[in-house]
Amino acid sequence: MSDRVIKILIESFPRILLPGLKMTVPLTALAFTLGVIIAVWVALIQYARVPVLREAARFYIWVIRGTPLLVQLFVVFYGLPSIGIITKPFPTAVAVFAINEGAYAAETIRASIEAVPHGQLEAGYCVGMTRWQTVRRIILPQAFRTAAPTLGNELISMVKDTSLAANITVMEMFMTTQRINAVYYEPLALYIEVGVIYLLFSTVLTGVQRLAEKRLSGYGRR
Amino acid sequence: MLLKITNLNKSYPEAGQVLRDVNLTVSEGDVIAVIGPSGGGKTTLLRCMNFLETSDSGTMEFDGAVYDLTKAGKKEITSIRMRTAFVFQNYNLFLNKTALQNVTEGLVVARKIDKKTARKTAGKALADVGLADRLDYYPNQLSGGQQQRVAIARAVATNPEIIYFDEPTSALDPELTQEVLDAINALAKEGRTMIVVTHELEFAKKIATRIVFMDGGTVAAEASPEEFFDNPDNERVKQFLANIGNKQ
Repeated sequence: MSDRVIKILIESFPRILLPGLKMTVPLTALAFTLGVIIAVWVALIQYARVPVLREAARFYIWVIRGTPLLVQLFVVFYGLPSIGIITKPFPTAVAVFAINEGAYAAETIRASIEAVPHGQLEAGYCVGMTRWQTVRRIILPQAFRTAAPTLGNELISMVKDTSLAANITVMEMFMTTQRINAVYYEPLALYIEVGVIYLLFSTVLTGVQRLAEKRLSGYGRR
Repeated sequence: MLLKITNLNKSYPEAGQVLRDVNLTVSEGDVIAVIGPSGGGKTTLLRCMNFLETSDSGTMEFDGAVYDLTKAGKKEITSIRMRTAFVFQNYNLFLNKTALQNVTEGLVVARKIDKKTARKTAGKALADVGLADRLDYYPNQLSGGQQQRVAIARAVATNPEIIYFDEPTSALDPELTQEVLDAINALAKEGRTMIVVTHELEFAKKIATRIVFMDGGTVAAEASPEEFFDNPDNERVKQFLANIGNKQ
């Protein structure tokens, strides 16, 4: 590797990492949190067996899981303006990623809720709690424990998927790298560098996930 | 009279009619042991009485008020459940809560009792069943017998007017049944009103003020324990007791 390339790599490192911290991390954190909130409601709607809403929930999951994330981004960011709905890049990215994550996580959470023994709900009823009180205090906490590893994986996926936001002009790490490359034209070195930074982020999250799972591994189970 | 069930019917699509015109009267202080062959409708009866199953027909008179078992509303059901308690065959402790929290949950969340008072009540209920040293244990850190005793403490802590026991020792290893039976026996001695579905005939004989024998979805016989065990006049009861005698 020439001295020039090494110099470029060193100089560009903070320039890529900074938007990573300022864009990729908040984008992921916001979108994932919102996504999980959406997912809980969509899962609960299905669990409660409300006829019409349930169909709506199935439809949402069907559409979102059946179409590429990139297409969803384009429809909202480049498509909607033609019917007068213009949105800014960052909020658009947050919304689309959240809606996308919501569909996947809804299935994860629905399955986890269904894995909670039915007797837990009946026990709640029998101590005088309502369905909602039991769901909130007994069923959901247990479901989240079951869902945690899968949700962790989805979070790690999302960190990487945020690179797609470059396509709708969000100045995140990947787009920044493209810009730097446009100046120096060192695609191999620079794209490997940004890849390494994504790997760094994922590795940190994997570590956090492992710690969290250890903490969460069964109520008092040793 | 505290509670009266009239003409309770229940059927399932697959199993057919499980309860036929069941009538049952419970007075304060009654300890009713419900016994009979498996599939006789004992558990279903208890579950219908606490609205865990919706009956096909029947009424419940509870403390002066009359409820239609088929169409009682959510509020009515919750208010009845607040005044009763249920101990399940497989305990059904809240798995994400400690022993203490299992008992306080119904007090704090359902009855809005302040946490401090609830903790005190729960601590006492758990001490009464011999678990004062297990307050912070999760269900999966407790033996079956201990879990069932927590369930009993959870039932008693709300000071219910009637406690339903659905085969409380059937899921337990034989060496763990006694501790649970002792805990139930202590409640009987306190004069609590209870309906106990059980296969433990010796136990039924010892604690019950009345035996209800269910077979084929009906109350086939009802008698005092002495009459029932020592001097049965019902053919099906004789057969049932003879069968059990042969097995033992």
